[in-house]
Amino acid sequence: MFGPFQLSRVNLGGLLWKTPWRMSRTRKANQRARLKKVDAVIEAVRTSGVQCSALTEALKLPKEHEMPPRDKYTVFNPHVPGYRKGIHKVPKFTRVTMRVNPKGF
Amino acid sequence: MNFASSLSRRWAMSRPSHCRSISNASPRLSATPAISEDRSNVPASPSPNSHFKITLLRSPISLGARIKGTLVSLGIHRRMQTVYFPHSPEVAGKILAVKELVAVENVPSEAVRTKTQQRHERKASRGFVVIGGLKDRLAELSPPPQRSRGSAS
Repeated sequence: MFGPFQLSRVNLGGLLWKTPWRMSRTRKANQRARLKKVDAVIEAVRTSGVQCSALTEALKLPKEHEMPPRDKYTVFNPHVPGYRKGIHKVPKFTRVTMRVNPKGF
Repeated sequence: MNFASSLSRRWAMSRPSHCRSISNASPRLSATPAISEDRSNVPASPSPNSHFKITLLRSPISLGARIKGTLVSLGIHRRMQTVYFPHSPEVAGKILAVKELVAVENVPSEAVRTKTQQRHERKASRGFVVIGGLKDRLAELSPPPQRSRGSAS
């Protein structure tokens, strides 16, 4: 086979691609910084004085300091026990906005 | 003081006549302003921010044709590229579509730069400015002959 992962009996048998169930404190710090950067973009558009429906929707999103840690580092998932999953398990989570989760979950 | 002036005189004498005149002044280096007698801080009235300054910081790879198309419509083709747009709801909507990827600043119209201007500002100064050359010296000595126009040749 091609690529870095060379199939073999040994590595097919065990759990190979391990991802921790939670983010480390460094990753969490970076996540907070990313949220703040998006807040800054929304704020810049707001201070420009321009009005559009996208801005109305964006202003409904909570700011980083208003978000509970649960919302910053986990995201709703209907298939897992507890209905919450680490946000780092979502593909492209560093470039997608997922701030609001269904109420009660 | 004397040492510096004698050096400059020696330099003028020893330099061959065909050398270009070079001054050390660089147009890009800003001259330090003289300390004004008036101590009161009078800030110049800032012109209102009328433009968005948009810089792409994160790549749109594997985010789909929609996001990529939005960036292309903003005139952004690569990471770290900066574009300027006047304030409008269309551009605001596009920015919010790619808000996770860009950095936005509100700037006045004086701060707007075209691609060529940004490139010019990025260039390093040469450290000298050519203020004259051989052509100028010859022109001083003998003015160029006047060509008669419309002569049959």
